[in-house]
Amino acid sequence: MRLAACDPAAHALGLTAGMALADARARVPDLAVFDHDPVADLNLLGWLADGCERYTPACMLDPPQGLLLDITGCEHVFGDAARLAKDLHARLSRHGLTCQIASGSTPDSAQAKARYAARAISDVPVEALDGGDKVHKALRRAGLRSIGDLAIRPRKPLAARFGKAVVVRLARLLEEEDPRITPRRSLPIIHVTQNFAEPISRTNDVLATIEMLAGNTALQLQERGQGGRRFEIRLFRSDGHVARLAVDTGTPTRDAALLMRLIRERIDALSDPLDPGFGYDLIRLEVPLAEVLANVQVGLETKIDTGAAAAALIDRLSVRLGAERVRQFHARQSHIPERAALERAAQSDASKADWPKADWPKPVPGEPAMRPFRLFETPQPIEVTAGFPEGEPRSFRWRRHVHRVTRVEGPERISPEWWRHPRGYAPGNGSLTRDYYRVEDNEGRRFWLFRRGLYDEIERPLWYLHGIFA
Amino acid sequence: MNKKPNHIQPTLSAGAFPSVQGMWKQHQSDAAQSLLPTGAPYVDERLRGGITQAGLHEFFGGAQADSHAAAAFALLLAWRLPESDAGIFWISGDKERQTSGRLYPYGLSAMGGDPARMLLVQTADLRDALRAAADAIRSKAASAVILETHGNARLVDLTSTRRLALAAAETGVLALLVRGDAVPMPSAARTRWRICSAPSAPLPGNAPGLPTFDISLLRHRGGTAPFEARVTWDHATRSFFDAPLSGGLSAIVTDTETGPASRQRA
Repeated sequence: MRLAACDPAAHALGLTAGMALADARARVPDLAVFDHDPVADLNLLGWLADGCERYTPACMLDPPQGLLLDITGCEHVFGDAARLAKDLHARLSRHGLTCQIASGSTPDSAQAKARYAARAISDVPVEALDGGDKVHKALRRAGLRSIGDLAIRPRKPLAARFGKAVVVRLARLLEEEDPRITPRRSLPIIHVTQNFAEPISRTNDVLATIEMLAGNTALQLQERGQGGRRFEIRLFRSDGHVARLAVDTGTPTRDAALLMRLIRERIDALSDPLDPGFGYDLIRLEVPLAEVLANVQVGLETKIDTGAAAAALIDRLSVRLGAERVRQFHARQSHIPERAALERAAQSDASKADWPKADWPKPVPGEPAMRPFRLFETPQPIEVTAGFPEGEPRSFRWRRHVHRVTRVEGPERISPEWWRHPRGYAPGNGSLTRDYYRVEDNEGRRFWLFRRGLYDEIERPLWYLHGIFA
Repeated sequence: MNKKPNHIQPTLSAGAFPSVQGMWKQHQSDAAQSLLPTGAPYVDERLRGGITQAGLHEFFGGAQADSHAAAAFALLLAWRLPESDAGIFWISGDKERQTSGRLYPYGLSAMGGDPARMLLVQTADLRDALRAAADAIRSKAASAVILETHGNARLVDLTSTRRLALAAAETGVLALLVRGDAVPMPSAARTRWRICSAPSAPLPGNAPGLPTFDISLLRHRGGTAPFEARVTWDHATRSFFDAPLSGGLSAIVTDTETGPASRQRA
């Protein structure tokens, strides 16, 4: 067993990561050791990254122990990069974390400076090249100990000797080439932030702030001629925790009042209420998804736009109950009754784009409905008395009630969809043929029954009640 | 005195230029008065025109298995409304869906309805369902809102139904409450009905015919006396008609034991 990491006190005692545990114990007999838990480390890093999004939305994990923030254009909120670093240092120290913060023009340079606690990139040892032990040893043997030593050397021999990767990394360390970082989340289209000198904790204050941010966002969206499809609110607690609220809308919107209603619904629907703790000191509203939304001239006549009202209502109910609970019908190509109709979330934009408006069959005048208005997800097993095998049902028992059949029509034979079966058509493979009957009982109730399987398919076909007619 | 223009009675002339608000109020009060006829002459005559469109109506199933009839009747009434962009909301809980199955669009279209206008809201419990129904009625998005409940629910009481009824009266939305397997309790509904399936007039070959119901008005806020009728739905005209009693009647006479009277709940 080896040491995976040690704290500053252990370093002071001469222990280093990678040292065998037995050696370490020999040096420091009362050494306190804990099991290494990389997953927990990564979770902690992710949690810190959430909190660091208060500085910039472009934040990237640099496992095992680093975070990369792209603060381009963000530092002015705090004055300058140094003050931002001071604020970050204070916040991390509050959690008992030791940290090394460095800034640079490229992520590689900042990373190397932080890792080797160097003021200038020229002081960073050659190990920062990440070229592997062989490369580092060879460079050191040649008397090249730091990046500064390498900077003045011609690059071509270096590339010839150690490979292109080393030279590319060197250029990045020397801030000659600037690769962008890949943020953990895609950057929002619009984000508006409100800082507080003193943390706020009352829900009403939080809502008032969100309302102000929503108004601000609406203006920005209007300028762009867009409407948001997804809004995210991040509440940064002063102790580093970040609460997230997301609201989806079915149609692009930039109506601040509507957005506020949805957000209130969202907060009401939270299973555990927002815990402000010691208060929020930063609130941000983001629009990660936006679509084109033209400006509309509101007519002078008070004509109610049912489409917009319906979209607003669907959004509200979807936010409160969950999008999958507000649905619309969709047709599907299938002969099997229960597969022929789907219900899909009314809010998903797929329902508008990919799914053509279903052409439901028109009723035939004079003919009663051949399909029930209600269908059971799982056909209900029933006990049927039929006149003879493959005959029509005479009476059946369903939910402890005997129904005597007075009128019957059928069978309507529906074969299994053998073409969907991997082995194709073969008698008896896949599912069974169904014989459907429309029946009416002596009390006037109309049902849709079927017998599953023909007598030459299985020995004892069973009967099911599948639907109810009006 | 501070006279607000929108408080002018619609019947009073507001000078040479009638205010837009006044006209809108007038329009709304017209909408509140409008009646929805069932299409069956006998029923409409007894109802003096039809049921109030801007109101809450309750439908009870006669026996347990008749909750489907109550649901179907409510749905067909909603289709009597003039065609519009506004949707028909069907709100039910997980429990209702489990006991009564789901709506099947092919069956709906075969009865003359348009499944594309239907919006299904499935809630976890009745409290959510009532709230969703109130929201749907209040918004201008719905032409009809149907709330299905199953069993005797304490939540569906005078207060909650009054909330729905007031919202419906305000927006002119037809609000229908389907109460399967429940005993009538005090409510704010304008009308209360008991709906049972009735034997249909058979088609050639003794096949089941068009949807037929035995409907009985139990209570009417406008003072209409309770009555019973048998109606059949015709999907071609999207209207009910008085069922001819010949075919159906014989079924009752030969089978008095299970006639609609014996299926009424105490």
